[in-house]
Amino acid sequence: MPESKDRVDVAVLGGGPGGYVAALAAARRGARVALVEKTRVGGTCLNVGCIPTKALTTSAELLLRARRAGAFGLLIPEVGLDLPGLMAYKRTTVDGLVGGVEQLLAASRVALIRGEGRIKKPDTIWIEEGNGRSREIVATHVILAPGSVPADPPIEGRHLPGVIGSTEALDIDAEPRRLVVVGGGVIGLEFACIYEALGSNVTVLEMTPTLLPGATDEVIAKRLEVLLRRRGLEIRLGVTVERIEQHGEALRLHATGAAGDTIVEGDRVLLATGRWPNTVGMGITDIGVRMNGRAIAVDETMGTNRPGVRAVGDAVGGAMLAHKAMVEGRVAAENVTGGCRRADYRSVPNVVFTRPEVASVGWTETQARAAGADVKVAQFPFSANPRARILGEPDGLVRLICEVGAGRVLGVHLVGPHATDLIAEGALAVQLGATADDLAWTTHAHPTLPEAMFEAALNFRDAAIHRHSR
Amino acid sequence: MPEYLQTTIDKFTFKVATDRRYSGDGIWLQETADGRLRVGVTDFVQQHSGDVAFASVKATGTTLSAGDEFAELETVKVNLSLPLPVAGTIVEVNPALDTTPEVVNQAPYGDGWLAVVEVPAGAIDRVGLLDPPAYFAVMRSQVEQELNQQ
Repeated sequence: MPESKDRVDVAVLGGGPGGYVAALAAARRGARVALVEKTRVGGTCLNVGCIPTKALTTSAELLLRARRAGAFGLLIPEVGLDLPGLMAYKRTTVDGLVGGVEQLLAASRVALIRGEGRIKKPDTIWIEEGNGRSREIVATHVILAPGSVPADPPIEGRHLPGVIGSTEALDIDAEPRRLVVVGGGVIGLEFACIYEALGSNVTVLEMTPTLLPGATDEVIAKRLEVLLRRRGLEIRLGVTVERIEQHGEALRLHATGAAGDTIVEGDRVLLATGRWPNTVGMGITDIGVRMNGRAIAVDETMGTNRPGVRAVGDAVGGAMLAHKAMVEGRVAAENVTGGCRRADYRSVPNVVFTRPEVASVGWTETQARAAGADVKVAQFPFSANPRARILGEPDGLVRLICEVGAGRVLGVHLVGPHATDLIAEGALAVQLGATADDLAWTTHAHPTLPEAMFEAALNFRDAAIHRHSR
Repeated sequence: MPEYLQTTIDKFTFKVATDRRYSGDGIWLQETADGRLRVGVTDFVQQHSGDVAFASVKATGTTLSAGDEFAELETVKVNLSLPLPVAGTIVEVNPALDTTPEVVNQAPYGDGWLAVVEVPAGAIDRVGLLDPPAYFAVMRSQVEQELNQQ
């Protein structure tokens, strides 16, 4: 028997970006909310995903910049790596943000219940609090936000010592001399860039013929591939890893590809082959919630087939992005507090913190053409942007996918300096249905990186000012 | 014939290799031992366009008509669309372009080649290409035209 039984308006299972945002948003709208989290709030993103990787990325970038100080007229005689210091910086960054979320929850009177939650009935969540204690919450509305777990690819030898996942890759005690990254998606490439900057020789093996499959425009992916090769990363595409073996001190990966079988050796192997919805063992299917493969099937209001049960975030599939989960959390929160909101994914950007960064929103050229749109692509390279040149980062380009005629912006794709910040303008353009002319006649401050956006927009009419075509 | 025809105009020296043929817009084509065509841009084109930051050549296997774009050079000044003077299929792309696109500026007639194209036998003779002296004359008039515009 549970030791206590509480009644709330909204119970949220899972305290990641989808869950905690849903809890906060519902509380702001006057609901009594309980949030169940088994470890720390913030989920994958805050604890072992977006945030710690960006801390590492920030240090890696500073390191690279410091090494190039001479090009900026600075003398920094000693530039090096302090791994314990790096780990401490990462930890304090994460801890600070987790603490911030906890404070927000407390200030918003969300009851944070620590323990392993399980949905028993559509209105009841059972929580094991540890030490044999448990409790039950009865809620008018339940929002499931259990997140995702790293995919477990069928590669023989994946449990060998030295074969790690993205969570272990965050804890760097000594940088491996040779790192092999299996998976050329977002996670794999971000770690590849971090480790390369810290001094490892990095090889990326990707199964599909392109980097970042499905995450960006093909031209951008190809450009990134070339720019990463220039940085010294070895990239092999169309290669499937079948098994990993210990070979003396090293790990040996046996792979197959169009060019035949190959063997790649490394000191450490990072498996970054994507993530799966975390939907097993929480009673979700036991109460009859309909699934879509591993993901919880939801409608546009984030409702499942069981009345009173909604789900958000990685667990419902689609793009596994914290900001997509947050939007879904807000949608669910409105809908359980008397509102009527539908999820709108048009302006969900995809961002990749490689060097240079990649960001995308809306349709790719291929998607637009497949959908029957008559499109014109307007481009502008960062090599012609003054700010990019001042920063010493002139590599990359902006691609606007525009509808022929009125020039409505259907998609925006970037590779280049601060692409992940610049995409906000693209997301706004796509969301508002802006045209290339709207962007072109919005005055952009000089000298800034966003000027590349309006110059690309001018190119819709082949009229970029700081560029000509022959 | 010497290895290069060359002229110096207003401090700039422009070379035209004498072992290949040209299109009027500065694409050179050179027959390889196995009857294919190696294709690149002339010294004048690379100097006129500026430092190449990125070179994208259509993928191997792409079949193009005469006049279709086969490559684009992104320089600090310009996006340069390069038309293939003769119909054919790309069978090789210079692998050095990805990591060191500046090779186009450094050795336009040598290591800075762009692609190898397979063309029907005899096609190259039917498209009205220029021999080195003829291109040299065209190039001179293009340079002079540029100078007069300034």
